Amino acid sequence: MAKLLIVEDEKHQRELYAMEFEDAGYEVDQASNGKEAVELVKANKYDLVIMDIRMPEMDGIEALGKILSRDKKIPIIIYTAYSNYKSNFMTWTADAYVTKSSNLDEIKNKVGEILAARA
Amino acid sequence: MRLNFITFVFLVISDSGVIAALLFLYSRYHIIHSRMVYILAGCIILMLVLRAFLFFMTNWIYYRKGINKIKGVVSDFKKGKFAQSYREVKVVNDLDEILRELVVAGRHLDSIMTAQKKEIDNFIELYNSIIFSISSYFMVLDDEDRVLFANDGFYKKFQFQSDEVYGKKIEDIFYFVNARLKGGITQVRQTGKTVVLEKTHLLTLNKISIIADIKISNIVVKDANQIIIIIDDVTKKLRNDYQISLMSQISESIQKDDEIDRVLFTILTGVTSGTGLGFNRAMLFLVEEGMLVGKMAVGPDSFEEAIQIWTAASTTSGDTSFVEIKSAEMKAGVNLLNRVLAARFPVKADNIFTRALNGRENIHVADSWNDERVGGEVRDLMDVKEFIVTPLVVVNKGIGIIVADNKFNNAPIMKENIELLSIFASQAAMSIESYSNLDTVRSEMQKLSERQEAIVESEKLAAVGRIAAHMAHEIRNPLVTMGGYARRIMQMPKEKSKVSKKIDTSAEIILKECERLEKTLSNVMDFSRPAKFIKEFNNINEVIRDTVSLLKNLFQEKKVEVGMELSEDIPLVKSDFNQMKQVMLNLLQNSLDATPAGGAIRVRSRSEADLIEITISDTGSGIGEEDPNVVFEPFYSTKVTGVGLGLAIVKKIIKDHNGTIRASNREGGGAEFTIRLPVPG
Repeated sequence: MAKLLIVEDEKHQRELYAMEFEDAGYEVDQASNGKEAVELVKANKYDLVIMDIRMPEMDGIEALGKILSRDKKIPIIIYTAYSNYKSNFMTWTADAYVTKSSNLDEIKNKVGEILAARA
Repeated sequence: MRLNFITFVFLVISDSGVIAALLFLYSRYHIIHSRMVYILAGCIILMLVLRAFLFFMTNWIYYRKGINKIKGVVSDFKKGKFAQSYREVKVVNDLDEILRELVVAGRHLDSIMTAQKKEIDNFIELYNSIIFSISSYFMVLDDEDRVLFANDGFYKKFQFQSDEVYGKKIEDIFYFVNARLKGGITQVRQTGKTVVLEKTHLLTLNKISIIADIKISNIVVKDANQIIIIIDDVTKKLRNDYQISLMSQISESIQKDDEIDRVLFTILTGVTSGTGLGFNRAMLFLVEEGMLVGKMAVGPDSFEEAIQIWTAASTTSGDTSFVEIKSAEMKAGVNLLNRVLAARFPVKADNIFTRALNGRENIHVADSWNDERVGGEVRDLMDVKEFIVTPLVVVNKGIGIIVADNKFNNAPIMKENIELLSIFASQAAMSIESYSNLDTVRSEMQKLSERQEAIVESEKLAAVGRIAAHMAHEIRNPLVTMGGYARRIMQMPKEKSKVSKKIDTSAEIILKECERLEKTLSNVMDFSRPAKFIKEFNNINEVIRDTVSLLKNLFQEKKVEVGMELSEDIPLVKSDFNQMKQVMLNLLQNSLDATPAGGAIRVRSRSEADLIEITISDTGSGIGEEDPNVVFEPFYSTKVTGVGLGLAIVKKIIKDHNGTIRASNREGGGAEFTIRLPVPG
């Protein structure tokens, strides 16, 4: 069973994603900001990280860098309400960039796609 | 006379006495021989006869002499010579007395005449000084406007013979051009006051033209009203003034950012205007890429047109500036202009134009028909016998030529005209050169300012993008949560009941609304994203019809009438159909929002040369700004509910289509938007 880390500062959103992905058959850990995410990645092994950008304490882009400097192989999907950061090269190091939507099909498909490619 | 007669009688008596005494002495005493007596008597008789003859002879000579003297005096009188050399006349007889009387009378007359002659001389002197001091031409008209008199200067100036003027009506001397002159005469006749017509163009039937200050006065001679017209030729003076003002006009015209055509036109007006160099026609050619290309021409196509122009020039008021005459001149001479604009001569070709250009010399062609240097093409173009070609030279470089002629009045081109034209051409050449330099600078400046505008605009848009992105982020997050949970509710397994159905329906509504908002956000974000659109050939009329029918219900609801005037033969435009629809939608919605119930919105489309124009006008409140185009600024909005991006999006889309959009207020109230899109060539 693939293990995901969902990094999202908004509690309801984070819980929604967790529920949805658990329903879809994933094991899910949650982090409410970049700092927590980095700590969790140090302590655990994840198959994939879903990362928000704008978060308190440490934002997603900083966390992205920190995680990748530890483990270059871990796939990270940036999942954000910003649609315009796609062209920001700081985000290019992530494996994918998906704009948030109330319809979670896109992110689910992306996760499946990346994990399938890794398998 | 009487004395002579008495002497004569006394002598006859004394002689007779002597004879009687001698006869008595003889008959009584016979003291002398009888033959002697006869001889003596014969002598005495002979003496008597001689004496009588002498007497009559002297008297006859006397008489003749007296008569002749009188005759002489009378004939002197007849000649007007009253003063006689006779000092005193010795009165011997009646004739002497008559003579003396005559001499006395003559003296009287002479003194009277001398006094009058002095006055007349004074008058003539005054008269001459008046006539010569004004160096004018003048003519006198009788009460039927026929010429009674014209001075020598007049005949010389206008090259008339006296019989061509005397007794003629004024309109038989001058062209009807001189409506002003006729009007002036009528005015003088009516009011009796002197009228001065300044800077009037006079053109005689033999086509001599001058510009003159004309003074018209009324004099009454023998109960008849005569008119004195004094014509003061101011052509030269005006020309001098004009040349100065023309140069300043040209430089002004350059500074005013006028089109080069206008500058060239102004220059050529200087060559043709009566106050300028006074040529009938003028043409200007400039060198462009090895060709001498026709750029501008001024001058009528026919003599009738020439008259019209001159009339216009003559009837305009005192300080006629050539700008006012321009329209008349512009209208005239279309054929000439077109022919000149079509004319191109390789600089290396050999004809009179290139000769003047390459040799940098004035060439005066006196007989174009027989001058081999002219060249066939130039001959056909000019179609005139005599003309002058002057090069436009800047720092030893020929940049073009000016060609001038007098096609219509056939006035010969004088040396003086050529010199003036040559001076004028050198000034004109500098003007043209400085214009083209200025033009280069100007176009560079234009490019710079366009770039600057583009930078400012892109900065603005970048700012908009940042704000929009932030707003989108802030809104999208809760939407995602709301929509996500609503979707979850819908997907939850439920018992089949009315309540669960209601829950699903409610969740669906929440979800749909969320999705709608998300879509709106995407649209706003599209605006800040670089445009990626599909350009196809679209019929703009279709876009308009589509959009109008889309908004039909809204129009009906608001009771606003929509009118479409679509030109059916507009060309297709390479464009993104959906983006163009967005443009129409935004504009129509904008108009609809601004138009109160009962108002009207009109959409028009038409094509013009290489572009199509779409106009959307409404009867709304208009744009309350000094520059209506501020409505295109991002976040400009007067609406209570609106972010103010609609028109900015419109502008962006139109710009991406290489088009322009302009906002303006209509005269009768309401706003008008004009879109111009290029048609691919």
